[in-house]
Amino acid sequence: MKKKLLSIMLAGAMVVSLAACGGNGGDTPAATDSDATEETTEEATEEGGEEEEEFKTETVGDDGIKIWVADNVVDFTKEQASAWQDANPEFKDFKIVVEAVGEGDAAGHMITDVQAGADIYVFAQDQIARLVTSGALEEVNPDAVDEVKSANDEGSVKAATVGDKLYAYPITSDNGYFLYYDKSVVKDPSTLEGILKDCESAGKNFYMEINSGWYQTAFFFGTGAKLEYTTDDSGAFTGCDCTYASDQGVKALKAMIAVNSSSAFQNGSSIGEATNVGAIVDGTWDADGCKEVFGDNYACAKLPTFTVDGETFQMSGFGGYKLLGVKPQTAEEKLAACDSLAAWLSNGDTQLARYKAVSWGPSNKEAQASSEVKADEALTALGEQLKYTIPQGQYPGDYWDLAVSLGDSVRQGEIKADASDADLLETLKTFQQTCESYAQ
Amino acid sequence: MKASRTASNIVAYIILVLISIIWLFPFVGIVLQSFRSYRPEVEYGGMVDYLIPKTFSLDNYRFLFSSQTNFVKWYGNTIIIALVVAVIQTIIVLCVSYALSRMRFKGRTLLMRFWLILGMFPGFLTMICLYFLLKQFGLTQAGAVPGLILVSCASSGMGYYVCKGFFDTIPKSLDEAARLDGASRARIFLTMTIPMSKPIIIYTALVAFMGPWCDYVFASYVAFGHDESYNVAVGMTRWVWTNDYQGYFTRFCAGGVLVAIPVTILFMALQRYYVEGVTGGAVKG
Amino acid sequence: MGKEIANAFKEIGLAFKDGGFKTRISYLFLGLGQILRGQWLKGISFLALEAGFIFYMIKYGVSYLSKLRTLGDVETHKEGRITVYGDNSFLILLFGVLTIIIIFAFIFLWWLNIHDNYEMDRFAKIGKPLKTNKQVFMSLFDSNFDKTLLFLPMAGIFIFTVLPIIFMICVAFTNYDKNHQAPTNLFTWVGLENFQKIINFGSAGFGSTFFRVLGWTLVWAFFATFIDYFLGLAVAILINKKGVKFKKLWRTILVLTIAVPQFVSLLYVMKLFANDGLINGWLLKLHLISSPIQFWVNPVLARITIIGVNVWIGIPYLMLIATGLLMNIPEDLYESAKIDGATGWQMFKSITLPYMLFVTGPFLLTQFTNNLNNFNVIFLLTQGKPQSMSLANNAGSTDLLVTWLYKMTVNETNYRMAAVIGIMVFIVTAVVSLVVYNMLPSVKDEEGFQ
Repeated sequence: MKKKLLSIMLAGAMVVSLAACGGNGGDTPAATDSDATEETTEEATEEGGEEEEEFKTETVGDDGIKIWVADNVVDFTKEQASAWQDANPEFKDFKIVVEAVGEGDAAGHMITDVQAGADIYVFAQDQIARLVTSGALEEVNPDAVDEVKSANDEGSVKAATVGDKLYAYPITSDNGYFLYYDKSVVKDPSTLEGILKDCESAGKNFYMEINSGWYQTAFFFGTGAKLEYTTDDSGAFTGCDCTYASDQGVKALKAMIAVNSSSAFQNGSSIGEATNVGAIVDGTWDADGCKEVFGDNYACAKLPTFTVDGETFQMSGFGGYKLLGVKPQTAEEKLAACDSLAAWLSNGDTQLARYKAVSWGPSNKEAQASSEVKADEALTALGEQLKYTIPQGQYPGDYWDLAVSLGDSVRQGEIKADASDADLLETLKTFQQTCESYAQ
Repeated sequence: MKASRTASNIVAYIILVLISIIWLFPFVGIVLQSFRSYRPEVEYGGMVDYLIPKTFSLDNYRFLFSSQTNFVKWYGNTIIIALVVAVIQTIIVLCVSYALSRMRFKGRTLLMRFWLILGMFPGFLTMICLYFLLKQFGLTQAGAVPGLILVSCASSGMGYYVCKGFFDTIPKSLDEAARLDGASRARIFLTMTIPMSKPIIIYTALVAFMGPWCDYVFASYVAFGHDESYNVAVGMTRWVWTNDYQGYFTRFCAGGVLVAIPVTILFMALQRYYVEGVTGGAVKG
Repeated sequence: MGKEIANAFKEIGLAFKDGGFKTRISYLFLGLGQILRGQWLKGISFLALEAGFIFYMIKYGVSYLSKLRTLGDVETHKEGRITVYGDNSFLILLFGVLTIIIIFAFIFLWWLNIHDNYEMDRFAKIGKPLKTNKQVFMSLFDSNFDKTLLFLPMAGIFIFTVLPIIFMICVAFTNYDKNHQAPTNLFTWVGLENFQKIINFGSAGFGSTFFRVLGWTLVWAFFATFIDYFLGLAVAILINKKGVKFKKLWRTILVLTIAVPQFVSLLYVMKLFANDGLINGWLLKLHLISSPIQFWVNPVLARITIIGVNVWIGIPYLMLIATGLLMNIPEDLYESAKIDGATGWQMFKSITLPYMLFVTGPFLLTQFTNNLNNFNVIFLLTQGKPQSMSLANNAGSTDLLVTWLYKMTVNETNYRMAAVIGIMVFIVTAVVSLVVYNMLPSVKDEEGFQ
């Protein structure tokens, strides 16, 4: 009603002010435009002030909680949220909205506009430092810190910690990758060379996303190169320990070049986009897709070994985690509700239920120990692989972009297949220096 | 003479057929993919290395109209945006063009030059600013549909070139004769100029109507996190761009077919006006 | 221009000296003079605007203006576990800019009011009657109809184009980026730092990357414009050829690309050309190639493929335009050429092409500047990839300045550099337009073919 009245008034004002510019016949001077302009700007701001209040009560009110999760767990999250309200009647007045915003998009949206973002959201751990810096994450309630830390596995707690503060609730420990393959194509999944050969002779594709900072580390960490960052409490990067510009780094880069030169190799890590697949390096989230693609020949295993200059290394990589975060709040009661709901959505029972619903591998130690989880093929393969991986710490956003550049340089042959070790070392030096420059 | 004419015609036909194949191929591909079922027990919804589905099914279309997705809502949003923008934008363009073509006022050339300069700034530059401006009015997320309409209409005055070019070709003597009879400018505009401008009105409305169907960039920026106010482009590109959706490719194609239908029909029906518009626009520059 | 402003100032003085009480009082209370003269329609609107201005300044303007110099100094902090947001640099800058504009506009309004009063004074002296309120109102539909028509469009352009552009130009002089993100963190003025970065060729600078992206942007715009133009012309001539039947069918087939939204068709085309896409798959199956053609991976090939796909998009438009224009060429020109024994190619070279180039000169220029900013094609096909170790800040080999700008805005929230790039795009577009425009034959020689 207020809006309508306002707009009628504005319309009235417009006509009147037009008359004003009209003046005496056609002789009003040049810049009538700026006159008209001036008037509207006032409208705009006044109206702005007016409506801001309305907007606040409409969408980001203190009596509603907005949750962002991936599309396939929207229904699950809704059920859990109402179960939480049943168990905690003091919060039953909060209106809960669950929207489908995937982990990839959530962090970006939160940073663009914190105030319009979700109150509780799921994100992949590589975003955590960025989110803390831009003020999109509230620390975990001090009363709950010990419980979260003891209930979840060590890697996931480390992933949720920035500086020495716990900023998020771990919900999965399955954000790592391993090998899915077609049993009828790949006879022996234990060596990379063997897999590539099998795929080549069967005319099938081997997928691995080598132009991603996440998958690349399978090679670099495998040969023993290091890349780690330290952060302070506010998410700023303070130190970088990188040894890519070394013999180990060169060997890893050579292995990447060798993979790229295989005719069976395709860059990619998403089963839905892949065609004619013989084997793919992918994570548990694509397990169902892989089962569909491979049918009866579905199989999975830890990552293979690779051989450079006669030396054999086990592929390594990141073990990653999905985390649940709470946005900084301006109202006491809502913060309490968010804390409680986030704790509920990340506790052992919920994690187990989530595994049963959508097969997300839990980070909660009790849930991990349950018989269903233990029997899961994909999670077993991941478990095998995790022995060789490094729990993923915090990395600056620029690192992921830089890694794409390195991977693309390999793919397009800018880093030549017959380059000398010295040339490769030179490239890696630039890479390392750039990595180091991200930490102040 | 005749033999060579026939020979050259044959060459022309061969080239035209080749061109047609190249130009139609992607559309045929999209349509074929849209009939491949995504359900594992029938076929597969991701990328495959063959063109023709093994079994034809309507599963993708069924999915789009089911409650599993908000596709119908997105489609409705897009139609609303497209219709409203088409109407308002046409009105605004007509007003601006008439004023610039028929009226001589101080600052007229200055204004046109100023708008020309404004047009040289890349549109994406101001995205973040527009987002927060709209937010001040409560027109983001839940209010994204009116917000998008507002932004598309607000700056449409700068796209007056084609329409003004058309008005310039209507003889001024007609206006003057009417003015001598005592008709006001407004009357001339409403009862003489507009009825004479049917082709350009249709052209302007058609172009304005087609725009919102492709709007991904700004729409995704304004509507983020609120599924109900996505348009088709924002809603559907997630199916191919984010990892949350595996095996949605055929559903994306089916959605694409449905999106293409209204625009194509309208375009084909009004093609004559479109040609007139772009040709006129090209000559006027 | 300068003279007009000087005159305006002079008028302010003169009006106060010569004007009566009614004129003088309106120096303070806008519109009061008009009301006292019975011109209440104008008077009330002036007065209402003044009231609005004062209200705005008191409620918002003054506080935003006072913070504009630092862009805010109250940091966001915690009270217990509750977050208390401090100053929002973004809004301060936005409304600060707005307030300055409003102040200028008010000064103009003030002058307008004086001018109006002064004129009424003079009318009174020579005994000329003032217009009635009704006449003033009705003039909006006649002699002042342009103001009625232009009011809303200009208001819209001001709020949603002019204001944001001024705002973003200001951002280019601040440190607004991912580490200084409103509302949690403040950002502030940094002078020319960002511009230094864009021309800095050192390892921390954007210089070499910027010029490489700029180079490709220009190359792309050139090829995208002219290849499409000539091929479109060729196709139009082919379809128009005497003896070719089903003209409408051929045109309709081509025109489908305009009707089908690009986010559908281009995404499909992108998948077609992928390393594991249909085209490579077929070529491999036919054993024409032994390993996939790296359409999107190899930088040179990616650029060629993009230009090729753009032909697919561009030809239909150009074909439509050329078809329309070809019909305008007087048939007798060809007839007389034929009598002189000219061949088809000669006729094309000496009649068709010069005519087309002359008529479509300005259009080609617009096409060129549009292609400089052709976001959709690049973004939907490659998103600027492939990237390379030799390019800084996430830029790829097929990135145009606009797609780079987009990535900086959306992926990295590096607004400060995005603003600088935006200004650079403007400069490039403006320079190209100016230079080319003055070279156009149709500008040099207005009569020409007409």
